[in-house]
Amino acid sequence: MGILTGKWSFYLNGALLSGMIVLCLYLFQDTVGMNDGMIKISEYVEQTAEQVSDDEEIALPPLEWQTGFLGGIFIGALAASLMSGNWKIRFFQDKESGIISKSLKTALYGLGGGFLVMLGLQLSGDSFLGQWSGALQLSGGSWIFLVSCFAVASGIAILLENRGESGGE
Amino acid sequence: MLTGNYRLAAAIFIGIFCGFLLVKSDLSWRKTCLNMFLLKDGRLLKTLLFSLGFGVALVYFLQQAEVIAIHVRPGYFWASLIGGVVSGTGLAFCFRVPITAIAALGAGRLYALWSVIGMILAVSFVDIISGKLSSSIYSWSKSLDEPQQADSFLDLSNPVLWIVVLSLISLAFLQFTFRGETEE
Repeated sequence: MGILTGKWSFYLNGALLSGMIVLCLYLFQDTVGMNDGMIKISEYVEQTAEQVSDDEEIALPPLEWQTGFLGGIFIGALAASLMSGNWKIRFFQDKESGIISKSLKTALYGLGGGFLVMLGLQLSGDSFLGQWSGALQLSGGSWIFLVSCFAVASGIAILLENRGESGGE
Repeated sequence: MLTGNYRLAAAIFIGIFCGFLLVKSDLSWRKTCLNMFLLKDGRLLKTLLFSLGFGVALVYFLQQAEVIAIHVRPGYFWASLIGGVVSGTGLAFCFRVPITAIAALGAGRLYALWSVIGMILAVSFVDIISGKLSSSIYSWSKSLDEPQQADSFLDLSNPVLWIVVLSLISLAFLQFTFRGETEE
């Protein structure tokens, strides 16, 4: 039961992450990533907005393999966090006092950060898992993306931490 | 290659496994990612380095055995570089990539929903400006070359060998320098 409730070692996590990507390459001849799933969801949101304005009946989002992968991640994370006792409802990313300031910070950092992360992924042409898969296959573009992404993220995080703005959980 | 409902079923099962793995490896938690970028927590760095070293070797040997074939999307220097810088900037604020945002939502961190909304908006935004992108950053440089594999693993010109060796050295360094682990 320890394997279901406890943390896994880094070499097991690393090997399973790579193994999963290779399995996807074998089964799908592609990498399952959130990029395609997010595009499907985004198209659905746009169509739904048009249908609401035209008073049409709203259709459910398409269940395709990319959106199925997305749903699977949600279920897997839910199961793992329940088993390990990590499942907690949290509305704010920070524990600082002041409901207005932490609400604004959570919304702004989440919305802005998420927007930029996806914008960068769209510009580079693949999902994060896809970039990781590309790096394993020695794709030059994926290596450029990952190195620049980690270097910039680390640099800005250290800068914000020194200014006391990165926040904790 | 799987098709139809088999493809859907396999994607759901792999998704469930991926969600499980993201929680077990701490990749879905904001604080552990923050500490990784601040170079305070070596656990995630070790996971990613091991994944890289092990995965590169695994892909190499499976390709040599013709079990899998290369499947990479065409990469452009400026698009990859600018994309990496923009993504890195976003990552420094929300500490989530799309899959970890969904995993965090599954684990009850409802604030990750803001990141998911931001990501959905970005897809629509790129859809609007896609015409301008193809005439700008995608035309600044040619498509990067397809990855090439060396015939022998132990060949010194084989990048796989270098990546595996450098990953192992970095792992050994991290193992002795980072002791602390972030608790969620």
